[in-house]
Amino acid sequence: MRQQLLEMLMNHQGEFLSGQQISDQLNCSRTAIWKHIAELRKQGYQVEAAPKKGYRILSSPDAVTADEISIRLKTEKFGRQIVSKESVSSTQEIAHKLSHEKCEEGTLVVADEQTGARGRMGRPWQSPKGSGIWMSLILRPEIPLQRAPQLTLLTAVAVVKAIHKVTGLNAEIKWPNDILINGKKVVGILTELQAEADRINSVIIGIGMNVNLSSDELPDEIRGIATSLQIETGQAIRRADLIAAVMKEMELLYKQYLQEGFHLIKLLWESYALSLGKRIKVRTISGEFEGFAKGITDEGVLLLEDDENQIHQIYSADIEIPRS
Amino acid sequence: MLKIQEIRELIKLIDKSSIDEFQFENEGTKIVLKKNEATVEPKVIPNAETPIFVQPPQMPAPQATQMQPQPAEKEVQQSEPKEDKNENLHKIESPMVGTFYSSPSPDSPAYVKVGDKISKDSIVCIIEAMKLFNEIEAEVNGEIVEILVENGQLVEYGQPLFLVKAE
Repeated sequence: MRQQLLEMLMNHQGEFLSGQQISDQLNCSRTAIWKHIAELRKQGYQVEAAPKKGYRILSSPDAVTADEISIRLKTEKFGRQIVSKESVSSTQEIAHKLSHEKCEEGTLVVADEQTGARGRMGRPWQSPKGSGIWMSLILRPEIPLQRAPQLTLLTAVAVVKAIHKVTGLNAEIKWPNDILINGKKVVGILTELQAEADRINSVIIGIGMNVNLSSDELPDEIRGIATSLQIETGQAIRRADLIAAVMKEMELLYKQYLQEGFHLIKLLWESYALSLGKRIKVRTISGEFEGFAKGITDEGVLLLEDDENQIHQIYSADIEIPRS
Repeated sequence: MLKIQEIRELIKLIDKSSIDEFQFENEGTKIVLKKNEATVEPKVIPNAETPIFVQPPQMPAPQATQMQPQPAEKEVQQSEPKEDKNENLHKIESPMVGTFYSSPSPDSPAYVKVGDKISKDSIVCIIEAMKLFNEIEAEVNGEIVEILVENGQLVEYGQPLFLVKAE
C-alpha cells in the first residue's frame, strides 16, 4: 500500500495529488494516507502537504529501502522479495539464514552499511554507511553443482551491463569477477554455495559496489587500487537505480543461462575481459607465478600459459595485471 | 578451423581420458587422434584405479552399517590391503573441482584436524572455484581419521578429502 502510494506520487512528480484522488485509487482512508506519508518522511522523502491541493514529492532520499528499490524494479522474480537493513554485519549472513528458511529464489538482502563484510581469504571489505551497494541475492538454480561457478562470471557480466546503463561508464572484468574502471576496482563479488551432497540448495551472490564514496572516503590501503562510480563520473548516483538495473540484467542473463547454457555468457564475459591476451601475475595460496592469459574454458576456468608453453588451469587466484 | 592451441588442449584431454581414438570433422578439416597403446597404457591404469574403488555416494550412516557385508565381499577380491583398512571408513568427497581450503582464512585455525569428532552439519573445509565458495559439511557423524589433501591443493570432482570413522 505504501509502495503504491509512493509510486503514484513519483509518477506525478512536481504535481499535487489530492487526498481524495489517492484514497479513491488506493481504496483507503485519508487517515491511512496520512500515516503512510509520515512513514515516507521518516525514510527521508520530502513530501509537501498543501491544504486543498494535496500531496507532492519534492525530493526522495538516496536510500536502499525496499520502497525505493521496488518502485524501480522491472523484473519478474529478482528483487521482488527485499530485506533491507540499516546496518548489518554482512548481508551474506542474513541471506544464508533466509535461504535455510526456504525463502524464494530472487530474494535480495540489502544494507546501508556492513560492519563485518569479508572478501576472498577472509579479507575485510569496507562497506561504509550510505555510500555503497552492499547486497546479497539468493538463487536456486537446478543445475549440476559443478556448473555453479559459472554464475559468478554471469554476475560480473550483469553488473558491468547495469553500470553502463545507469552511468554510461565502461567497466571491465578481471578474472573471474572483479569489476574495474580505468584499472581500479569498483565492485567485488563473492559467491557462496549451500548444498547437500551434490545438490544445490542455494547460491548466494554477494555484491559490493563502491558507488558514492569520495576518494577521501576510500580506505588508505586501497586508495591506489580502488575507485567509486562517483569518482569516475563526477556525480552522485542513485543507488536504487543501480540495484534495480543489476536485478534486471541478472534476471535476463540467468534465464538465458538456464535455457541455453554458458555459451552466451562466456562470449559476453570475454568481450568485457580485461585480463585476456596479456601477461599477468597470478597469486594463489601455494605461490605466485606469471604467464600469458590465453582465455577461459567452458567452465570459466582461466587458462594460463607459462614460459615453457605449459598451460595451467587456474581455478582460484588473485590476478594482477602489470601496468604496461 | 581449430587453432593449434585448441588441438594441443584436445590431445591433453584425450590423453587423460580413456578414449583410444578420436575423430573430428568440421568444414573440411579432419582430425584423427589415436593413442599409442604401448606408451599410454601405464599412464592410464593408475588413473583408472580411482573409479573402481569409488563407493556408492554418501549413504546415511545407519544404512551404511547394514549394507556393509555386501560391498565388503566384492571389494576384498579387488582391493589391496591398504584399501581394506579404509573400507569401513566413510570418505568425504569433493562435490566439485576447485581449491581445497582447510580453514576459512589463511590465519585462522583449520576447520577440523585428525581426531576431531564431527557431526553431520560440521563444516570440514571449503572448496573454491571462480570465487564461488562451497563450505563442505561432513554429512556423517564420526571422527576424522585422515586428511587426504593439503591446504591450497586443487581437487577433482569426487576426490576423497577426508576419511571418517562413522558412528
